[in-house]
Amino acid sequence: MSTEQKVREAETAPGPVVLTDEDGGLDPWTAAVWLAARNDNLRITLPGAPAAVSSDMADKAMDTLTALAGPRVSTGDNPSRFDDLPASLVKFEPGDPGYRGRSSTYMRGGRPALILRPRTPDEVAEALAFARRHPELQLGLRSGGHGISGRSTNNGGLIIDVGAMNDIEMLGNGLVRVGPGATWKQVAAFLDKYDLALGSGDYGGVGVGGLATAGGIGFLSREQGLTIDRLRAVELVLADGTQVRASAEENQDLFWAVRGAGANFGVATAFEFEAEEVTEVGWAQFVLVSHDVAESLKAYGDVAREAPRDTTVFWLTGPPRQGQSVIQMYGMVDSGDADTIIERLTPFATTALLAQQQVVVARYADVMAQAGDVGPEGHHGRGEPVARSGFLPELTDAFARDVAELLRSGQVFFFQLRHMGGAIADVPAHATALAHRTPEFSVTAIGADRRGMDEVWDRLMAKHFDGLYLSFETDQRPERLHDAFPAATLARLRELKRRYDPTTLFRDNFAIVEES
Amino acid sequence: MTDYGHDLMFGTFVTPNAGAVDLAVTADRAGLDLVTFQDHPYQPAFLDTWTLMAYAAARTERIRISGNVLNLPLRPPAVLARAAASLDVLSGGRIELGLGAGAFPDGVAAMGGRKLTPAQGIAALSEAIPIIRDLWNTGTRERVDHRGEFYQVSGAKRGPAPAHDIGIWIGAYKPKMLALTGRLGDGWLPSLSYLPNGAASLTDLNARIDEAATDAGREPSSVRRLLNLMDGAEPEQLADLALTYGISGFILATDDAATTERLAAEIAPAVRDLVKRERG
Repeated sequence: MSTEQKVREAETAPGPVVLTDEDGGLDPWTAAVWLAARNDNLRITLPGAPAAVSSDMADKAMDTLTALAGPRVSTGDNPSRFDDLPASLVKFEPGDPGYRGRSSTYMRGGRPALILRPRTPDEVAEALAFARRHPELQLGLRSGGHGISGRSTNNGGLIIDVGAMNDIEMLGNGLVRVGPGATWKQVAAFLDKYDLALGSGDYGGVGVGGLATAGGIGFLSREQGLTIDRLRAVELVLADGTQVRASAEENQDLFWAVRGAGANFGVATAFEFEAEEVTEVGWAQFVLVSHDVAESLKAYGDVAREAPRDTTVFWLTGPPRQGQSVIQMYGMVDSGDADTIIERLTPFATTALLAQQQVVVARYADVMAQAGDVGPEGHHGRGEPVARSGFLPELTDAFARDVAELLRSGQVFFFQLRHMGGAIADVPAHATALAHRTPEFSVTAIGADRRGMDEVWDRLMAKHFDGLYLSFETDQRPERLHDAFPAATLARLRELKRRYDPTTLFRDNFAIVEES
Repeated sequence: MTDYGHDLMFGTFVTPNAGAVDLAVTADRAGLDLVTFQDHPYQPAFLDTWTLMAYAAARTERIRISGNVLNLPLRPPAVLARAAASLDVLSGGRIELGLGAGAFPDGVAAMGGRKLTPAQGIAALSEAIPIIRDLWNTGTRERVDHRGEFYQVSGAKRGPAPAHDIGIWIGAYKPKMLALTGRLGDGWLPSLSYLPNGAASLTDLNARIDEAATDAGREPSSVRRLLNLMDGAEPEQLADLALTYGISGFILATDDAATTERLAAEIAPAVRDLVKRERG
């Protein structure tokens, strides 16, 4: 039977079809796409990956068909590279449908050899057993795929993608149980029904797992504390596959460590947070223009420092153009009262020349919902992000001057201050593995050139900081570990690392290693 | 005044995203001749254009389908020839091959294609077209061999044969590409908004194609002239393009179903009437 006859029969066939690759016959990929479109229920096996100039193009073709027709086409003779894969685990290798959308992250390109996508804690344990059997594979953890510091993708390694563990459940009394794969936008939408909210970061598309094990500096943090400060219990699978629950009552050491250094200790499979009542909020976006960015930054610092806890405004700029800086401010007032909102925001809006403003009364969930959904094609970051972070104890004149110089250097295209203080500082430094509790601001810069960025950052910025927020730091030099964790914190983390992860299985995000 | 005398074709230029299949179906039901898709695989928001074309072909009944234009550095000629012929067979002869030398070399490289200079891109395209035609020609059993600078084919079996003579329509603007189009193309497919002086440029650009065709021993009319219209279309404008500049394929960029239907129901018949009246 010719390949064409076979396709014609399969157009109306109820059962699956196995396409073959015959010399001079139809192109199997084109035939598969044709059939998937003609016969809605047909499952199709291909003789191999689509013929293409590169694996990226073949993956794109497969992902396109998955987006159009669902996951109905598989490659029969694309055997796994690994003969010891647990049969029950969902896996993606290069060439598998769905691989391409999960191989890169929001900001980073990657091509892991294998992505495992566990759906339960037992499956996480199986995935970790596989990881232990394959020390040659660099291990990364992925929840929402927004990690900047964490290598939630890599080249040639193994990724455990917990994105499928995304349940959200109300436990009562403000307690909500959330899977690591949910996004903060989903959490916000869920809590909104109960007039509750839980601060996260500034972008609703971010996944729960990465943020809730690192910190979480967002629009409600000055009022509620960091996201980790709202954590009441966490369930983890440890490096050896043990499933544990940690809280103030049990495994207190782990509970301490997860809140700031969680990526070093296990794969979180569920979080229980205490949310707080939040109904309507004021949401503001300002664009200001400044001829003296140092002066405007200082003015912002003065206003932010005096702001009450219900008010959180972030500050963002890029390189000046023709001596003029465009400053974006965006933030929240936890009040639905228009007069209060205006009273709180007016001092921020007058720190430079106000060019555009939008202030609305909204639900917290609406603000989070502005983040785009990740479609079936997933993330498509390329290359390596170049980001630096610092906790700023005090926004001084000297800092503002050095920021102006940093911006003029052209090395930084994104420069952000996140407003801290308030409830973040209520928690004692020793209470969680995130010990930097008293900065006025968390400062993040993103550039394009690793060496150029490090040079200006080390020269102009480093002296102003005490510590860093590890999620936004991509510098791999060993000193950064000491910036993330003060000496007493690091000593305790090292002791716990020896106990819970003696082989350093978890090392893709600020690996806690012994003093060399 | 140039009119190459071809029947007029009307079609759409659709963004290759999730809505594209529905728009192709709309164009098909409305009675348009052609639906086309741009090809920028390095653009994450876009679907793979070949996969989309095959899917759209299977969901439509009468309309012809083409890339506008396919990116050769990301679509090797032997793969493309086989895929196009296969889809032409399956769709009953409804596939045309819009092809370009490939813009955005960095995007191409990011997807694993070869980064070519413009001159290399033209040389690669002039190698690729004969390979594609050879593979389609099953009139002989002789295997296909090609030892080129950019493409090597050794002892490839021919086929499948397309169901109809697939037109190779080339996106071209510069003199060397226009000459290549006159020498090797079945069609010329530029975008009006990229022409230096708008429609007025067509006289000179057509002449370059005509000259190259004549030099190659072909009739200038063997190269159909198509045009992408990125900013709308009105009947008098299109009739003038047909009668003055020899354009016989009008491809309107739109992702709007109502505009697609209006093109088929109002604009195309009006243009056909105007042109018929002038041609007599």
